[in-house]
Amino acid sequence: MSEKKPRPEHLIEAVLLVSATPISPPDLSSATGLSKEEMGSALENLAERYAPETSGIVLRNVAGGYQLSTNPGCSGAVERFREEARPAPLSNAAHEVLACALYLGPLTRGAISRVRGVNSDAVVRNLLERGLLIEVGTDYEAPGSPALLGVTDEFLAATGSSSTDEFPPLGSLVTPEELSRVHERLTSAATPPEDAGDTP
Amino acid sequence: MTLEPQGRSLSDFTVELDVYSGPYEWLLALILKDELEIFEIPLRELVESYIGERERDPTNGLERDTDFAGSASALVLLKSRTLSPAIDAETEGDEDEPLSPEVLAERLTEYLKIRRAAEHLRERFAANAGYYPSAHTVPPRPGHLRVKPERVSLAARRAFSRLIEPPVRHLGPITVTLQELAGMIRTALATGPISYEILTRDMDRLNRAVAFAAALSLAQEGSLTLAQTEPLGPLTLEPTA
Repeated sequence: MSEKKPRPEHLIEAVLLVSATPISPPDLSSATGLSKEEMGSALENLAERYAPETSGIVLRNVAGGYQLSTNPGCSGAVERFREEARPAPLSNAAHEVLACALYLGPLTRGAISRVRGVNSDAVVRNLLERGLLIEVGTDYEAPGSPALLGVTDEFLAATGSSSTDEFPPLGSLVTPEELSRVHERLTSAATPPEDAGDTP
Repeated sequence: MTLEPQGRSLSDFTVELDVYSGPYEWLLALILKDELEIFEIPLRELVESYIGERERDPTNGLERDTDFAGSASALVLLKSRTLSPAIDAETEGDEDEPLSPEVLAERLTEYLKIRRAAEHLRERFAANAGYYPSAHTVPPRPGHLRVKPERVSLAARRAFSRLIEPPVRHLGPITVTLQELAGMIRTALATGPISYEILTRDMDRLNRAVAFAAALSLAQEGSLTLAQTEPLGPLTLEPTA
């Protein structure tokens, strides 16, 4: 009896099921033996089948790859079954450090502290432990050759992003009105009143 | 500095914070053990929580207030130290000078953008919470480790490139040597004992330090003896017979 050849969707589904991390298209192609065209078509079909409206499992395109995850609508049941609470949300300081690494990185701990105006070593340590930051190189020009930090694939997956290019440009996050307000305030604070010195 | 309350008057005080819920004394213990980051603790909420607790149960008020004030002020000190910018070699010395309005505006603008980016990230984290991937983690196999090509190229560049000379911008030129100052001390000792203070009276800090090292070196080789009647008192260099 000849074995029926599995459909491309089934092959991809099976490989994605056993991976805890997103699988890149080349790795998927290598594992399944499918061509680029077959993969594209099969992934489209799978995205429909695993849409959040129709399934407890969803297909995500994150961190440069594909991943099967539980539907967030079912997260309560998953957390009860695993007997663990959802990780505590990150602090404002942690979001600022990640924003520095994402938009200005790779950069050193010292550079992050300079941008934020406060010591950020403890926050960086915490984010390294959580796998959202990683040392990606070394700044040989700086005294002590400190490590350069960047964001990780876990960060991209946690923010639902396929790559760092998906984030809006830094300049677009602040309106020109806000910037001019900052400049106006500083200018007015730096300029002494015209009658300064006349009053006793 | 201690965070531990003197008595056990705070033993029944429990706190409810986003990052911690439980006895106050355990909170202090976790902070001391570095298992909880001090920067994550909202101290204002902590104080408000204590004031609420105090209104509910005013017994032992003075003792509890004293213990709480002691530990809370230590927390404030610890947090302020943690958040103070570290002195780094690049900016050391410059920070005392007031920033020009242009530089200040540039820094604030950059920080404002980062602040907005952080708010954007917060929304994205919240919108993408609750996705749980497969719990099946494939163990890495020899020869099949997943290594990104860019990491391989970075490692290769490091391995095959010439070693980069460490930066020496922060080092000044050598202006004095141990031998020079040892010679000067020998000359001075030819006329008899001499006070270290007099010997180094016209020297700068660097020369004074090197002169001290030279004197120690000469004492070690037996060319002179060092006499000091009391700790941190005047130091006299005496030629050996």
